[in-house]
Amino acid sequence: MKKLFAFILGVLLWPMMAKAENPAIDFVNDLADKIINDVLTADVPRDEKLTRFRAEFTEALDLKNIGQFVLGIYWRKATPSEKEAFLQAFMDFTTKTWADRFDSYQGQKIVFSGVRNAERNQLYVDSTIQNNPPVEVIWRLKQKDGNYRIIDIIVEGVSMAMSYRNEYSAFLQTHGGSVRALTEELKSKSENFKWGESKK
Amino acid sequence: MDKRIIAIGLVLCLLIGGCATKPQDPDELKIYEQNNDPLEPMNRAIFGFNRGAYKYALNPAVKGYRAAVPDLLKTGIENFLNNLKQPIYFINATLQGDFKASGSIASRFALNSVFGVAGIFDLASREEIPVVKRDFGQTLAVWGIKNSGPYIMLPLIGPSTVRDGIGLAVDSFADPVDWILYNQGRWWAYGRTAANGFMTYENKHDLLEDMEKNSTDYYATMRSMYQQNRQKDVGELRGETVEVQAAYDFDFPDDDEEE
Repeated sequence: MKKLFAFILGVLLWPMMAKAENPAIDFVNDLADKIINDVLTADVPRDEKLTRFRAEFTEALDLKNIGQFVLGIYWRKATPSEKEAFLQAFMDFTTKTWADRFDSYQGQKIVFSGVRNAERNQLYVDSTIQNNPPVEVIWRLKQKDGNYRIIDIIVEGVSMAMSYRNEYSAFLQTHGGSVRALTEELKSKSENFKWGESKK
Repeated sequence: MDKRIIAIGLVLCLLIGGCATKPQDPDELKIYEQNNDPLEPMNRAIFGFNRGAYKYALNPAVKGYRAAVPDLLKTGIENFLNNLKQPIYFINATLQGDFKASGSIASRFALNSVFGVAGIFDLASREEIPVVKRDFGQTLAVWGIKNSGPYIMLPLIGPSTVRDGIGLAVDSFADPVDWILYNQGRWWAYGRTAANGFMTYENKHDLLEDMEKNSTDYYATMRSMYQQNRQKDVGELRGETVEVQAAYDFDFPDDDEEE
């Protein structure tokens, strides 16, 4: 009975809910749609998928901000050309990593549950990927000149930016803080990248 | 009690002599403190051992298991093993004073045990009874031990902390299902522990391979992800809103932004 009531309410309110959506949710939703339709489920060769994915990524992420964050204290110590090279290698490698991960996409839906304002011009978009069990994903966005850019994705409490930062700090600590060494490492990992077999 | 947990960490440190040296540089010291891993050298050694065990023993076993066992059977086995964990989850949820959770665990256990053929069929999920897992590490946190103590890499089991390691020991000691099995003959209890361990590893196998492949420092990535995920789990129980923003700041001085 409760379920029936909720269902009727849902049907009645549906048009209203769709309109009342927040521009930040629209941004993430559009991005997810584009990645699903133009990349994940598109019938094109892998290289083309990668190119498209990279384009979406570059457009949606605030790469410089992320790069700065993940290098932490080592960002300040790096020269402009080192920073440039690092961002390039970081982008190349993460694009491959994530394209590979998304290869196992099986049509799961993403449901948005709200937007929270963070400090300054940042906000969080809360969402759930309807998997079994469901996966909680929070998108951290930064607003700049009326546009949104993603600065972090937090999956089940695990911030991607924070994880990269901790990983790279550990690498840099054992490599004399050389951002160049890290860049080389990322490049070589990217070149020798082994695509996983698509998991069932 | 928080202090006691830290003290245990320190004692471990002294006994084993696996302490890391604190960095001098204030920035690096900040990273060091955030990592909460004073036993890093020892942990990395154990991690190396674990990797060997995974590679030469567990991974071939996972491969064989996946090839030999059809998905339906695999799900049945997992359901069966998970069902047997419900009593200890129930105890912990109750100790945590979360009666909503203990109610849902109890109904899951009753439904699956009786109508799901000893838990082989997960009818509870079909009835939308949520999956709730509660361990004694969380219980300690709810009871007020906010500080997890240092990060610890356990042999074979993997990442943990002093608090959660103690929790794990208490759970395995207090598990009523284990007591029943033990009374039937201890190998039943050992067998169940082994089966649980294998199932846990099998479920994490793909994630671990991904992590290893994509990380420039596998150990550090695992530590970071484990700590963040665990913090969320425990924080939610303590009724803390996950204010991720408090944990780190994305704001940088403008001069750096505009170069």
